[in-house]
Formats: sequence, structure tokens, C-alpha cells
Amino acid sequence: MKRINIGLLGRYFLKNIMQTKVIYVLLVIFMLLTAYSAVSGINNYTEQNTIRQEHQQKARQSWEANPDKHPHRMAHFGSFAFRKKQPLSMFDYGIESFTGNAVFLEAHRQNSVNFSDAGFSTGALRFGELSMAMLLQLVLPLILFFLGFSAIASERENGTLKILLSQGANWKEILLGKSLGLFVLALLFFIPIMLVTFFFLFFGEGLIDPSDSWQRFLLLLVGYVLFLLIICVISIVVSTTAHSAKNALLTLLGIWLLMVVLVPKTSQAIGNAVYPTPSKLSFQSAVERDVIKKGDSHDPNDPYFNTLRDSVLAVHGVDSVTQLPFNYGGFVMREGERTSANLYRKHHDSLLQIYEKQNNISRYTGILNPFVAIKTVSMAFTGTDFKGYIDFQAQAETYRYQLAQEMNELQMEYISTKKISGSEGKKHVVGHEHWEEFPDFEHRMQPLQSSLSEASLGIFSLVVWVFLSFLGLVYLSKKAKAI
Amino acid sequence: MYRLLFLQFLRSRAVLASMVLIIALGAISIGIGHQFLSQKKAAIDQVEQYQKSHIERNVLLHKDDLGLLMYYVQFAFINNPSHLAGLSIGQSDVNTNVQRITIKNLEGQRYDTDLVNPMNLQSGNLDLSFVLIYLFPLLIIVFTFNILSEETETGTWRLVSVQTPSKLRYLLTKLSIRVVLVYTVLGILLMVAKMVLSIPFDIKFVLVTLLSFLYVAFWFALGFFVVNFKKSSGFNALALLSIWLVLLILLPAGINAYLTNKYPVPEALSTMISQRDGYHTKWDTDKKETLQKFYAHYPQFQEFGYPTEGFNWTWYYAMQQMGDDDSVKDTKALQLKMGERERVSKQVATFLPNMHMQLAFNELAGTSLDKHLRFLDATGNFHEELRLFFYPKIFNGETGDRVDWGQFEPKFFKKQAGEYGMAILVPMLLACILMIILSAVVAKKL
Repeated sequence: MKRINIGLLGRYFLKNIMQTKVIYVLLVIFMLLTAYSAVSGINNYTEQNTIRQEHQQKARQSWEANPDKHPHRMAHFGSFAFRKKQPLSMFDYGIESFTGNAVFLEAHRQNSVNFSDAGFSTGALRFGELSMAMLLQLVLPLILFFLGFSAIASERENGTLKILLSQGANWKEILLGKSLGLFVLALLFFIPIMLVTFFFLFFGEGLIDPSDSWQRFLLLLVGYVLFLLIICVISIVVSTTAHSAKNALLTLLGIWLLMVVLVPKTSQAIGNAVYPTPSKLSFQSAVERDVIKKGDSHDPNDPYFNTLRDSVLAVHGVDSVTQLPFNYGGFVMREGERTSANLYRKHHDSLLQIYEKQNNISRYTGILNPFVAIKTVSMAFTGTDFKGYIDFQAQAETYRYQLAQEMNELQMEYISTKKISGSEGKKHVVGHEHWEEFPDFEHRMQPLQSSLSEASLGIFSLVVWVFLSFLGLVYLSKKAKAI
Repeated sequence: MYRLLFLQFLRSRAVLASMVLIIALGAISIGIGHQFLSQKKAAIDQVEQYQKSHIERNVLLHKDDLGLLMYYVQFAFINNPSHLAGLSIGQSDVNTNVQRITIKNLEGQRYDTDLVNPMNLQSGNLDLSFVLIYLFPLLIIVFTFNILSEETETGTWRLVSVQTPSKLRYLLTKLSIRVVLVYTVLGILLMVAKMVLSIPFDIKFVLVTLLSFLYVAFWFALGFFVVNFKKSSGFNALALLSIWLVLLILLPAGINAYLTNKYPVPEALSTMISQRDGYHTKWDTDKKETLQKFYAHYPQFQEFGYPTEGFNWTWYYAMQQMGDDDSVKDTKALQLKMGERERVSKQVATFLPNMHMQLAFNELAGTSLDKHLRFLDATGNFHEELRLFFYPKIFNGETGDRVDWGQFEPKFFKKQAGEYGMAILVPMLLACILMIILSAVVAKKL
């Protein structure tokens, strides 16, 4: 096997294709699609984040504008968490359009994250979203199959393959050369998309955590390069093994349909059917039941909180809560918040486990299906995957908990020990400077580490696929027939 | 000859495999629809049972204080999915169909979402509408792409040209075999769906059936159109699949991107903030002023006067009311924006058969955005009735045990009946006729 021959054959393949009109038509169409999806991706990112940031600020302003008041009123005044779009969501929307954008955070209650784009959609969203990632995952493979299906099959049909082989080229060189030639073509389509993304990261304004974004960008680049390699080799392999060029094309189209449309959709549907999501009511009433069992801080005769009171009184050696060195109402609410938040977390974790199980079925098909593998890798590195959303929810819940507890602490410290219940009026209040002291919510991007672990299965699958497909190419080079 | 052509067609492995695949997926999709309906039904049953015990428990705890009791008690308002929803799940997986609301401020409650796995939403439902809209065209492509080219490629076309009086008639005969087969599969799937999902045989089901038949006809005409250009099998397959990709994925996705960018919905977030501020800031402002505003909205309650000493429920619920009253502007703007989105996407869909199909199915099945918006409106009315019932009782200081709680069973959203006409078929019919004319023009040159 000579490297120079591989290069020669690759260039020959490229030259042949570049002489056709079709390639220019395809390139132009693809570039137009790229431009459209880049513009709408960047617009959407900028517009949505501006809207969300404005509202985060607006909500904060009215939080800070509160006068002196009872801290428990502030715990109910509450705050909002607005989900920021990830910078790379301009490249891959992931599930961002299907997750809620805003959640109201208040004491005692974990509210649902509301207002997803899907909720505002008339149904058009269900046909898919036009993003640059979608072009690479769906459209480009189809184009490569189209450009590659005849690579070997046609040469065999018109007899040039025999000539090539008799002139000293060997099968390995031919197969590798054509695969690389096709791969170079793939890069023609791929590079503009990466350039757009690169320039966005470079010149885009107000991006969260840009350093992280660069690493993510590089990982994405590697992932997609591996994916495109796999697609190119598969095209050449099918073109070699098929009886005719027509059969090669039909086989490749069949593979595309199966791997891109049927398998992912069906596997997710199966996951959903096998592990059904509980109804909201069962979820909420299970939490409620557990909280009541443990002790209801809003029930004055609750045995759990009565015992708690007696032990607190004993520790401080006093016989009534008004003699305690802190406001007992705040203390009870702090305990109540702690237990109810823990119980909620427990139930929420098991709900997330059900979701994970639903998702895993389709995720595991990624081992066999490189199209699913690249999808999971792409969503993980753009931060638009399920993990990213869970991470937002967790950040919001942590902030909610801190807010509620901070207000309870303020109540314990500053509110008269005589004032056990009720939060109305201007007498038992805390100075408004405390409101500013409590920082605003800021949605942080999940650490790269967690995206890496999320993408690991997909990366593993892509690497194995590259390895196997080249192995297949070598194996084929010993078996393939020229006629 | 018909029988022979039929047998020849069925001998192809690709044909048999794709038939089996589509029937299997059709069966799965009906199963999924069934599961969807039974999950919804179970959830509704649960809500109905829960409401009684929920009210009893709270009445027991707070019967002396109706104001406090009403702080906790939730009333269910349910949008019962129609049987057709099992066939076209539409937006009803994103949008909740059960509202459990208290008489406190409405805007803070009515947009609460159900528990959903966003990955499932992204992947979308594999319901029968998906099989019809996405997969039937593929089946039709597999059935038609080589209807002519297989003859030229195996060398039989010349033979046919010599032996048959009309080449077109020969091709139409071949085509009709495929049409009959696809319509049979479609008919069977719709029948099975009707039985399994117990869909009543009404105008809506008839319209769904007619739409499906027209849609299949559209794709056959399209396939026939492409095939008549006498290109190779490979070219036809690729051309048809590209058309499929453009019509079913790229165009709708492009339209969606346009709609999202053109009509963003900041109003939703503004509503969230203004309802909070509307209510919560009233804790610090003059009580009399709040009550005055409240009575301006509900003059009938003026008799309850202006109690401003300490905490009292009249003032409390007046504050809650202010959350809704102060966010009215944003709520209205939100509704307008949503209406605009709905209108534009319907207009666009008129020109795109598959999008029209999906929107029409959702409309008929009651799973469209429009239906959900009406449900949200009805939730508002339901909430208002509750308020008007309880406000005077609370303000009078009545106790919880004097209320007849038996009457508060979960209420169901009544959909407006009728109003569906043949008009919904028109865009589909036009697309069909247009495609048939086009392929007739091309076929003439055969």
C-alpha cells in the first residue's frame, strides 16, 4: 500500500465529482440552509437571552424595591429563575425548546418550570427544528450517500475498476483513497458551519463562560469529524458490496431512513411506554403524604413539631417559646423547609430516574447507531441536553431553598421572640437593606466534566465505529471483486 | 394480467418488508395512542377521587376559618381528551389537561405544566398521525419509484411498448395495484384504531378518514409525477426522498424557525412578574386603597366595607385579586400573541399538505394549541365562578362546615360542538387536484 496512491485516488475521485453540476447545486442549497439556520439560531439565542435577562432584572428590581417588612413576606414574594440559553444552542437547539424557561421560586413550594417554546407552538415544532446540527446529522449524510454510492459500483459497472487494478493500484488503496476523497467533500459542507460557529463564539456578545465554550466547540468538532468519517466509509463499503450502483443507493437510503427516522423515534416511544411517567397528582400527593407523615409545620398541633418544641425548650432551659433567644416561628419554618425540601428532593430524584430510564433505551441504541451517538454527543457538548436542563432545575431549587432559609434566619434573628405567627403589618419588620444583600439567581452552565460523562457513551460508540468501519474496509479489500 | 402484475409486485422483498414494517409501526402507534388515553383517564379518575378526600381533610383542619381553608383547597378543572386524541396526540403532551386551582390569583396557577420528560417531547409521539403523515409517504415512495424504471432497466419496457395498446394505461394499472394495497393498509389501520381507541363514528372521524385518503392520493400523484420523467430508479428514489425531506422536515422546520423568531413571547414572562408584583406589593400599601380597587372591580361586595385593622381575609383576597387585575394587560397581550401565531401557522399550512394534515388532525382531535387556549380561557371562567361563590361567604366570616362541599366535584371543560365542515378538506383537495393535473401533463408525453 502506497500513501501516494491513496492520495492520487482520492484526488481523482474528488476531481470527478467536482466536474459534475450536481455538486455545485448541492453546495449552494446546503449553504443557503446553513445561512438560514445560522441566522435563526443566532437570532433566537440573542433575542431569547435578552428577553430573559430583562425579565430577570425586572424581577430583581421589584425584589430590591421592597420596603422594610417581615422576612416571611419576602420568602413568599419570592424570586424567579430564568433559564439562559447556552451559547452553542445557536448550533444545536437540543431540547431547549421543549423545556420550561421560567420558574417562580418561593418558600414551601417547588413550582413547575413553565413557558416552554413547545407550549407556545402550534404544532409546527413537531416536524423538527432547523439547526446547523440538524443539517449535519440529517441532511449531510444523505448528501454524502448520494455522492458516494456510485464510487466503486459505477467503476465496476463501466469496467474502469479492472483497469485501475491492472495498472498497479490495490484494493486497499482504492477503498481508502475514495473514502478520503469523499471525506474531503464532506469537509466542504462541514467547514462553513464550523466557521460560523467559531465566529459566533469569537464575536458574539454576552456569552456565558466563553472559555468553557471553546473546549466544547473543539470536542464538537472532533465528534462531528468522527461521525462524517463513519458516514464516508459506510458509503464506500456499501458501494463496494452492492451488486449494482442502484442497489448501493437504495441500501444507503434504507440505512438513512432506519437510522435517522425510525429507530430513534421508536426507541424513545418504547422507553416512554415501558417506564410510564407518574401523573402530576400522584407525584404531588406522594410528597404531601410524606410531609404530613413527618410533620406539618403549618399544623399547630402537629406531634412532630410539638416534640421538637419541647426539646428546644429543654436545651435552652426555658418554659415558653417566647423566652427563647430567637424567634421560634422562624425556627419552625426553617425546620419545616428543611424536611419538606428533602422529601421533595427524594421524590424528584426518583422521577428523574424514571426519565433517565426512558431516555436510556434510545441512548443505548447509540452503540449500534452512529446517528444517535452523534446526536447525544452534540447535545451534551452544546449543553442543550437533558442533563443541562436537570442542572438548571437543581440550581433553581438550591436557590429557592437558600432564599427561604435566609429569610427564616432573618426572622429568627431580627423578629421579636414574642411574635410567633403572622407576618402582616409594619411593626415586626426587617430592614430592606437585607433584600439587596441576598444575591440574584444566576443560571450557570453545567461544568464540562458532567457533559463529558454524559457524552462518553456516544464518543465511545463513535470511536469504535470509526475503528470498525476502517477494519471493515481492510477486510473488504481482501474480498472485493472487480467484476 | 391484473393478477399477474399483482403477484409480480408482491414478489419484491422490499415491498413485503415495507408493508410489514408499516403495519407493525401502525399497530405500535395505535397501542401508544391507547396507552396515552388510558394514562390520561387514570390520571383523571385519580383527580376525581382525590378531590373529595382533599377537601375533607382540609375542612377538618380549618373548618373554623373559611378564609384559611380556601387558601388551601384546590378545585379540579379537566379537559377530557376525546377518543380521537389517541390517534393524534398533538400538543396535548406538552399542555396539561388537568388544572387544580385555588381561588387565589389565577395567573400564578393556570400556566403550571404537567410532569413531562422533555426528551419524549423532542422525539415526539409515535401516534397514528405520525405514521400517516411521515411514514405513508415513504411507503408510497418505495411502491412507486421504480414503477417505470424497473421496466426500462430490465429491458421489458420495449416489450410492453409493443404489446400494450396504451403505455399509460399499463402504468396506471400497475399504479392502481399499489394504490389499492396502500388504501387497504390505511383502511385496516383506521378501522383498528377506531375499534381499539373506541372512536365514535361521527363527522370528525369521517373527516380524518377523508383527509388521510386525500393525503395518500396526493403522494401517489407526486410519485407518479416524478416517475414519468423516465429517469433511473436511483434518481427517482433520491428525488422522491429529497422531496420528502424538504416537505416533511426542512420546510416545516424553517417555518417554525421563522415563527419563533418573528413572534417571540416575552409577554408570558411579563405576566409572571406582574401577577406577583400586583399581589405581593399590596402587603405594604394602603389597605383602603386596595379595597377600593377591589370594590371597583366587584361593586356587589362593597357592603363588606373597609376593615383596615390587622390581618383580615377581605383584604387578603382583595390583594390576591390585584395580582390578576394588575397583570390583565400582559395577559391580554399574551393571548393576542398566541392567537397571531396560530393564525399565521394556519395560513402557511394551507400551502403545505403535511402541515395542514397535522394541524387539521390536531384540530379535529381537540389537541391543538387553539383548543388549549380555549381551555385556559374556560379555566378563567371556572375560577371566576368559584371566587364569586366563596368571596361573600369568606367576607361574612362563615365557617367551613356550613358550605355544601358535595357540589364541588371536578368539572369538565365543555368543548363547543359542531362547526367542523368540509372546509377543512379544501386545502388538501386542492393540493391533490393540482398534483394530479401536473402528473397528467407529464404522463401525456409518455
